[in-house]
Amino acid sequence: MTRFGTGRYAALASVAATALLAGPAIGQDGGDLRMLWWGSQPRADRTFEVIDMYEEANPDVSIQGETVGWSDYWTRLATQVAGRNAPDVMQQDYRYMFEYAGRGALLDMMPYRDEILTLPGVSEESLESGMSDGKLWGVSLGVNSVAMMVNETIFEEAGVPLPENGATWEEIKQLAIEVAEKSDRIDYGVEDSSLYENSFQNWLRQRGKDLYTAEGELAFEESDVVEWYEFWADMRESGAAPPADVQALDQRSIETHMVSLGNVAMGFAHSNQLVGFSAINEDEIVMRVFPLVEGSTNEGHYFKPSQLLSVAASTEFPEVSVDFVNYFITDTEAGKVLDVERGVPISDEVRDAIRSELDEDGLAQLEYIEALDPYAGPLPPPPPQGAGEIDQMMARVGQEVAFGQLTPEEGAARLVSQAESILSR
Amino acid sequence: MSSPTEPPGYAAAAATPLIVPTGRRARLTRALGSSGAAYVFLFPWLAGFLILTAGPALYSLYLSFTDYDLINPPRWAGMDNYMRIATNDPKFQDSVRVTLTFVLLSVPLKLAVALGVAMLLNRGLRGLTIYRAIFYLPSLLGTSVAIAVLWRQLFAGDGLINNLLLGIGIQGPSWISSPDTALYTLVILAIWQFGSPMIIFLAGLRQIPVDIYEAARMDGASKARQFWRITLPMLTPVVFFNAVVQTIDAFKAFTSAFIISGGTGGPINSTLFYTLYLYQEAFGYFRMGYASALAWILLIIIALFTAFSFLSARYWVHYDD
Amino acid sequence: MTDVRAAETEQEPQDRSILRSILTHALLIAFSFAMLYPILWMLSASFRPTDEIFSSTSLIPSQVQVRSYPEGWFGLRVSFGQFFVNSMVIAVLSVIGNVAACSLAAFAFARLNFPWKNFWFALMLGTLMLPYHVTLIPQYVLFLNLGWVDTILPLVVPKFMATDAFFIFLMVQFFRGIPKELDEAARMDGCSPFRIYWKVILPLSLPVLATAAIFSFLWTWDDFFGPLIYLNSMEDYTVQLGLRSFIDATGQSNWSGLFAMSILSLLPVFLLFIFFQRLLIDGIATTGMK
Repeated sequence: MTRFGTGRYAALASVAATALLAGPAIGQDGGDLRMLWWGSQPRADRTFEVIDMYEEANPDVSIQGETVGWSDYWTRLATQVAGRNAPDVMQQDYRYMFEYAGRGALLDMMPYRDEILTLPGVSEESLESGMSDGKLWGVSLGVNSVAMMVNETIFEEAGVPLPENGATWEEIKQLAIEVAEKSDRIDYGVEDSSLYENSFQNWLRQRGKDLYTAEGELAFEESDVVEWYEFWADMRESGAAPPADVQALDQRSIETHMVSLGNVAMGFAHSNQLVGFSAINEDEIVMRVFPLVEGSTNEGHYFKPSQLLSVAASTEFPEVSVDFVNYFITDTEAGKVLDVERGVPISDEVRDAIRSELDEDGLAQLEYIEALDPYAGPLPPPPPQGAGEIDQMMARVGQEVAFGQLTPEEGAARLVSQAESILSR
Repeated sequence: MSSPTEPPGYAAAAATPLIVPTGRRARLTRALGSSGAAYVFLFPWLAGFLILTAGPALYSLYLSFTDYDLINPPRWAGMDNYMRIATNDPKFQDSVRVTLTFVLLSVPLKLAVALGVAMLLNRGLRGLTIYRAIFYLPSLLGTSVAIAVLWRQLFAGDGLINNLLLGIGIQGPSWISSPDTALYTLVILAIWQFGSPMIIFLAGLRQIPVDIYEAARMDGASKARQFWRITLPMLTPVVFFNAVVQTIDAFKAFTSAFIISGGTGGPINSTLFYTLYLYQEAFGYFRMGYASALAWILLIIIALFTAFSFLSARYWVHYDD
Repeated sequence: MTDVRAAETEQEPQDRSILRSILTHALLIAFSFAMLYPILWMLSASFRPTDEIFSSTSLIPSQVQVRSYPEGWFGLRVSFGQFFVNSMVIAVLSVIGNVAACSLAAFAFARLNFPWKNFWFALMLGTLMLPYHVTLIPQYVLFLNLGWVDTILPLVVPKFMATDAFFIFLMVQFFRGIPKELDEAARMDGCSPFRIYWKVILPLSLPVLATAAIFSFLWTWDDFFGPLIYLNSMEDYTVQLGLRSFIDATGQSNWSGLFAMSILSLLPVFLLFIFFQRLLIDGIATTGMK
């Protein structure tokens, strides 16, 4: 399968030079592309099928698909990018994409917007999530948002009414205590989400704040963190949420999630993960919006891309690559193959075309997103460089508070000072 | 490792560390021919070293003095990375403490278990092949993702270990997710995978001629005495090898913490192995220059340990030459 | 030379030795269970429905389904048969490369004298100490420039250049245990260093060569990092990469397929281990020393 001989560098250089001189206007007819994505078997099957369809329609294009799991993906991609051998088309994660874009590894697709990246049926709004400074780094592969995963079976067995959209945190706390008491399968009601950035962000946004400003600075105060930590300390003490050593079993994967491990009846994740939760849980899992704070702005949620499709800045075939992105996102036949496996498609046309073919989980996902508007606000500014490290640091400090090594005040002070030091690095 | 008071009669008269050529060795070499022959033997390794290893290693040394984000060209940063590690990096200190604890606990215990089992298996027992294979099985699973799932099943709050403990009336914590105990579950994992040193010990035990034991028995030496006076001294080159290699491996331990902590080194950095931290810096946070500096500091730490082992070897390792 | 049989030649009163042997076996069997537990658990997981794997702590599945084996085997775009072939090719070449190249270097370090020997030896050990994460990218660039990426060459060629210092060090330690008198006798007969290496040292070193072969095979078989970086297309994937393709922490994973194929992936190495370790034991018994 080796496509590149030893002479590929010279070839690459000359093609790159031509492309640079001519700009995107010259027509490219064919090319050998590579596409890299993470995911597992069902995604690979679907993606390869769409690649085959595209190749059939464009006989002079060949696309080599490469796929690995999430945990291996970033090592592989970083090595290839560092070796100047980046895949032409790559799946990106919302946060990592800006890390790559900020360092110049991705192609700005805006110049192709008129002729190639026409994206029929896609609103301008849904492109914003892949943009910074007016440049388009990636196109969303699916609309997504955070969601509360609820184990319906446990609630039914315990005879406790399911939480409803629009429930407050206080109501969820009471429900959690009640369901934990009445069910003999769980000891706690709701997972301790104090460690997780997504939940913290949702909570902040309901209070009119956010994680980061557009300038890449912290958009919350130390006092917000103190309140957040105190709220969760109360949740743990009341028995609504599990103690720190139970919560620490969670490694932010679906199979280690508190809900999947059977420790709680309610937890927090992303809406496109419902399929994954359903696959490894014998129980019925349903989704609800995040609980509300007192006097909520009702803007805690926002529509974010489950993943994005980006093109490498170093590609020899920018036009073909962008055309493939366009096809992947907006072709209705491709959409039927891809289903909602990567999240709800951003194109209205694709969405309408696949609706009748969705299974139960797919439909639940689509309906969740469509019903989310009353709880969703505008897209936050793109996360600054270092956001990934801050996310990890937040989880660590959150654990130190939960394990009682730090008071909420000390934890908040540490979180803010370490976040500022990471942002300034 | 305790040293026997006197080496067995007809083993080497004195321990000869590799790094000190003896007169006898020099004589032999002279007879064998010029050093040209030696370099012919060394050629594949030397070529591989110079082409495949030395270049990338030296490049990483250069990178350790730069800011390198993997995508843009490295920018010279002088001693900045090293200064930061020395003065302003609590995670570095955490990872050094975690790694040293892991090395000091896992290496001696793993070697002791491996040697004990190897001696047990060196007898003429029925079904030896099967036992040996079974004891090697955990090592076969080395990097499997299945280990992560399994370890949680064993060491979680409601896991198998706690169920057993409940049987004798003890309510255990969630071992794998408590900052005080998580590291020990990784130590247990390391010990449990004792297959490689066991095999090497077995090969070493097989090299000890039987007639020595026969002679000792005729002299009326007890089993314990035979072990301390014959087995252990004759085995010292292999013990030395295993100790050095396992120590290096333990310093570089990565995969077990990576899969069991989900790459975080948590809870609260309690399993943040040095190389895991290095990996996070390099591939998680795009700081390959900083990671390279960390790597070279680790190399120096390991080299000091190894040099110390080699220096001490002349007092307790017996070669038959 | 005397025949070597290890401690089994001990003669003790028979009844005592039977009691002893029962005790030893009881100990070993109890120990075996602790060692085997994970395999049993994996075996049981491979027959379970996926949604039961994480919730049940029992070793016995509530219902047995063999489905996950064919589903795992043909579950990816390329069948596991191909992955097994790929892994086998890489592992066998690695064994040949490691044993040949490392024994040459080890002979030089153990038996010959040459200028800068200590220096080279220290450097050789030093290569064991640098974490591979930081040499990964320069090495990748090197292999990319050679046009080797997406082939098995980056995984195999280094083995023929003895880049795995572990095996050199291992062989040095064992070669040094072979009595020098044998070399000297051969030298008296006019043997060159190459003949001594070939006719004296190698035949006497079968146990350590077998050990090196076993480890080379197992470690290559288990390695996923090298293949992850250098093998791009799924047609070239090894078994370990195939296994990892089942799992995606952020989405849907095929756990029962993973466990089924994990069990199958252990089979060849397990059989090979049993075969080679016999060589290890026979080797020493037939040659005998001193």
